[in-house]
Amino acid sequence: MTAYLIRRILALVPVLAVVVSVAFLLIHLIPGDPVSVMLGPDATPAQIQAARQALGLDRPLPEQLLKFYARVLRGDLGRSYFLDRPVTQALLERAEPTLVLTLSALLVAIVIGVPSGIVAAAQPGSLWDRTLMLAALLGVCVPGFWLSLNFIYLFAVRLGWLPAAGYASIFVDPVAALRYMVLPAVSLGFSQSALIARISRSCMLEALQQDYIRTARAKGLSHATVTWVHAFRNALVPVVTVIGITMAILIGGAVVTEIVFNIPGLGRLIISAVLRRDYPVVQGVILVTATAYVLINLVVDLLYVFIDPRIRYE
Amino acid sequence: MSDAVARATWRRRLGRNRNVVTGALIVTLVVLAALFAGAISTHNPRRLDPPNRLKPPSAQNYLGTDEFGRDVWSLVVHGSQVSLLVGATTMVLTSLGGIVVGLVAGYYRRLDIALMRVMDGLMAFPAILLAIALMAARGSGVGNVIFALSVVYTPRTAMLIRSTVLSIRELDYVLAARALGRRDLAIAFRHILPNCIGPLLVQGSFIFAYAILAEAILGFLGVGVPPYVPSWGNVIASGKNVIREAFWVSLFPGVALTLSGLGLNLLGDGLRDTLDPRLRVP
Amino acid sequence: MAPGSFRRGFVALVAMLLSASSVAAAETPKRGGVLRVGNLGEPPALDAHWTTASITETLTNHVYEGLYSLDASNRPTPMLAESHTVSKDGLTYTFKLRQGVKFHSGKEMTSDDVVPSLARWGKQSIYGKALFAQVADWRALDKYTVEMKLKEKSAIVLISLAVPNNFGAIYPKEIAEKFPPEVKATEWVGTGPFKLAEWKPDQYIRMVRFDAYRSRNEQPNGYGGGKTAWLDEIRWISVPEVATRVAQVETGELEFADDLNLDAYERIRKNPNVKAIVSKPYYWLVAVLNKKEGLMTNAKLRQAWQAAIDIEPIMKNVAGGHADFYRMDSSLAPVEIAAWHTKLAGLPWNEHNPEKARRLLKEAGYKSEPIRFMATQEYKWMYDFALLTKQQLEDVGFNIDLQVVDWATLVKRRNNPKEYDAFTTGIGAFYDPTHPVFLTASWPGWTTDDDILKLQAELARETDPKKRMALWEMQTRQFYEKVPVIRYGDLFGLRAMRTSMKGFNEKTERIRFYNVWLDK
Repeated sequence: MTAYLIRRILALVPVLAVVVSVAFLLIHLIPGDPVSVMLGPDATPAQIQAARQALGLDRPLPEQLLKFYARVLRGDLGRSYFLDRPVTQALLERAEPTLVLTLSALLVAIVIGVPSGIVAAAQPGSLWDRTLMLAALLGVCVPGFWLSLNFIYLFAVRLGWLPAAGYASIFVDPVAALRYMVLPAVSLGFSQSALIARISRSCMLEALQQDYIRTARAKGLSHATVTWVHAFRNALVPVVTVIGITMAILIGGAVVTEIVFNIPGLGRLIISAVLRRDYPVVQGVILVTATAYVLINLVVDLLYVFIDPRIRYE
Repeated sequence: MSDAVARATWRRRLGRNRNVVTGALIVTLVVLAALFAGAISTHNPRRLDPPNRLKPPSAQNYLGTDEFGRDVWSLVVHGSQVSLLVGATTMVLTSLGGIVVGLVAGYYRRLDIALMRVMDGLMAFPAILLAIALMAARGSGVGNVIFALSVVYTPRTAMLIRSTVLSIRELDYVLAARALGRRDLAIAFRHILPNCIGPLLVQGSFIFAYAILAEAILGFLGVGVPPYVPSWGNVIASGKNVIREAFWVSLFPGVALTLSGLGLNLLGDGLRDTLDPRLRVP
Repeated sequence: MAPGSFRRGFVALVAMLLSASSVAAAETPKRGGVLRVGNLGEPPALDAHWTTASITETLTNHVYEGLYSLDASNRPTPMLAESHTVSKDGLTYTFKLRQGVKFHSGKEMTSDDVVPSLARWGKQSIYGKALFAQVADWRALDKYTVEMKLKEKSAIVLISLAVPNNFGAIYPKEIAEKFPPEVKATEWVGTGPFKLAEWKPDQYIRMVRFDAYRSRNEQPNGYGGGKTAWLDEIRWISVPEVATRVAQVETGELEFADDLNLDAYERIRKNPNVKAIVSKPYYWLVAVLNKKEGLMTNAKLRQAWQAAIDIEPIMKNVAGGHADFYRMDSSLAPVEIAAWHTKLAGLPWNEHNPEKARRLLKEAGYKSEPIRFMATQEYKWMYDFALLTKQQLEDVGFNIDLQVVDWATLVKRRNNPKEYDAFTTGIGAFYDPTHPVFLTASWPGWTTDDDILKLQAELARETDPKKRMALWEMQTRQFYEKVPVIRYGDLFGLRAMRTSMKGFNEKTERIRFYNVWLDK
């Protein structure tokens, strides 16, 4: 078990190396000189030269790459020209809203998706099942950002139940934080909830066919106990898989949700950084989100081991 | 069961699967709309008609007009062209890329490990963010979407192909073929690829669907095709400021997006049900 | 007195007092509260000397002050200056400064601060440079007196010092000397009624009341006169999406939002808690032409563009279909700037003459080469009029390559003559005929026509108002003949304000939140 853990963590190293390299390459895809684009036409030659040295752009490419690795390992992601502070600081300032948003959306997705899937699987072919699965199918196909617009129109502007946009920190004002998070989390998490519902259903169905369920039934346990306790645990395994993929989609979808709801997270940061050609920040956001995804997948893999002791990796 | 009979059974199963049929129907409709956009639109989607702005759906404008008086029906119909272009190109590129990488990884064990690590790394990037980041370097445009999506989704296809390669290469008849001196490439084409078509199609449908959505998101954010080019994302974006005065502008392209996604997902689901690996003939 | 009538009298007295006090309560400003304002975007800088951007102008005018300001008739009125005298020959201006004015850092403002501040402004600001081109010497005479010696008689001294845009803000000496003119100042200390408390880029800018602010004694008058900071804090929240800005004022999450899309007017008007304010003037729409390099150096091509466009339908569409949101006018100064408004007939403005346009295109030798026209969606009206222009011009034979970029990119690119042929922007009010940036050689577009520049120089020198007006009318005719930029119509702006916000001066062109209080 520990051996597996160690091997798994070591396997991360080359993956992360690839992630860092791709992030590094982004700046070099720029046609022309990235520095003069960043500083603008009013920059003096002295300023441009200083910036190139600071970015290390005057060294050969392989050397730059190695230096980049070293800097990343130290936690130094460079300096933002526009925000006039280290990239790491800018990222830390904006990480909380994105984290809260993605986790809330994940929560919404699980809370709506898993029960729906299980209920549907409990009576396959019933009206309940067919309705839920139709809703789930539509849910997968409806664009999240379009849903956001409609939600704002309906719940904020027409009904006035919830605020139209904005963000409040949980640590500062939990009640306000909740009110601001409802519409964004639901519109972001909805399509993922549909996905989770469908997968939960098929996993539950499969689990319900398993031998040990039949044995449990034969032993005379009540239908409800059988369904919920035994199959549920097994159904969790693929759901946990999906969480990994879900997070990737949520991170991408968070960008547009943050724009529509004016949430000051990493998504809005990368959009404004891109518009201002603040390349160090763009690099930083890409690096951080990709790394987060890799780590989440690690956690998910490890969760497998705990959820189903039968699964062992050699 | 002989090859021909198996394939015939295949086709019948495909034809009987409701999802496949419905999905294929919807997708065909969208494709036809894109191909014959000129014929079925009622107006030039780029033609501005200021006096006619923000008119609700009517006999002249089936789906109403937008803030410049452009006909929403024509915009939606022409918008399918951009969506299909992005979806199809991404699907083709990821399939081709995946085939190449998957074959190489499956055959050449030494490269396999390295390649798989690279694939894991590439898969970690959120596609939308990558496309946005590319915009910083190269300016906005459809190329970024296609490139970013291809980079992130090729690994999945590659892994699919690779596992097929791995499972098939040890089979007797393949070993026999190698013993007989057949070249690897020929073996790949004759034996391995035909078995990949099914899963490729399934995955392709989902990639197609996601590519269309991604293009719409980027258009909505203003980093896709130029705003005056008809695209579903652009039209939704232009409608968001007048969603109360003219809800139809954002509504109908959203419906089109949902429908296309629906068709492709149904198709993918149906294909996956019918082309279950256990039924495949080696 | 009988008990009944006493009681009646008492009740009447109480009623009278109550109603009087409630009337008084409605009028008496309340101290306190946080005003939340929805901002279009991030200011490129909070250094008033550094940029002409409107966002910067609005923000910096709460934190800094200049020697002069503008009153309700758009005339210079003293602010940090106490008074001034002019020598008989008109070449020496002596300014007496107010005493006891404190900076936010606590130190007193003296001539030691004024001299380097305005010297810096004179090297970087458009208006500063225009004034200091005429200045021979600028120095302090004593702690509260400064002196400006001119090379020649000038009509623009006070007005240049009074203009709120890119203005002569007085910084402490240390800051004015620390940052060279081309470098954005990143320390912000002023004498204004609010001081900068926090700037979180892309989120908000917080300004808090400056308790030691020394207000002038007069009543508020335009941008000048007395200023009282009733509010504890002004929070300028970055809300780039216009739909969100409107929605947030409607729901009460913001007290104020500016630069709204005109389609929202009906909706805002119907909301009982929100007041819709039509701001005049706002901008007149302009397509600036690159006269340094490229296709637009050809005068006939520029004239063809001017002849081709049918301005009214464009303005109507940009104004969301509302007639009260635009105005057709050929004057270079808007109606509200009465001193410089012209009513000339026979100008080739809004001719919408396709035959003339086609003829000019032919005479220009135009061979359908693409004309690069930069616009942005961040100011929606810029994108709108650019798109409508594109269609109108292409209908007469132009080939327009519309490039939609973000505002920051447009502002950067417009400084490079190789990057474009035309770009969109708006011209706000100007208060002196020497101020229009599109008639200068250094502003993007580069108007270097000798005749135009000569008249501008004469306007700077001529002090007789009647003669100036005659020169200005001549310049206007010349403008339409040489076509340095394409003038469209006047657009008005839409602002939304919660009814809980009181004391706001709706008449000034730009928004100011001193003298404003919250009635909650």
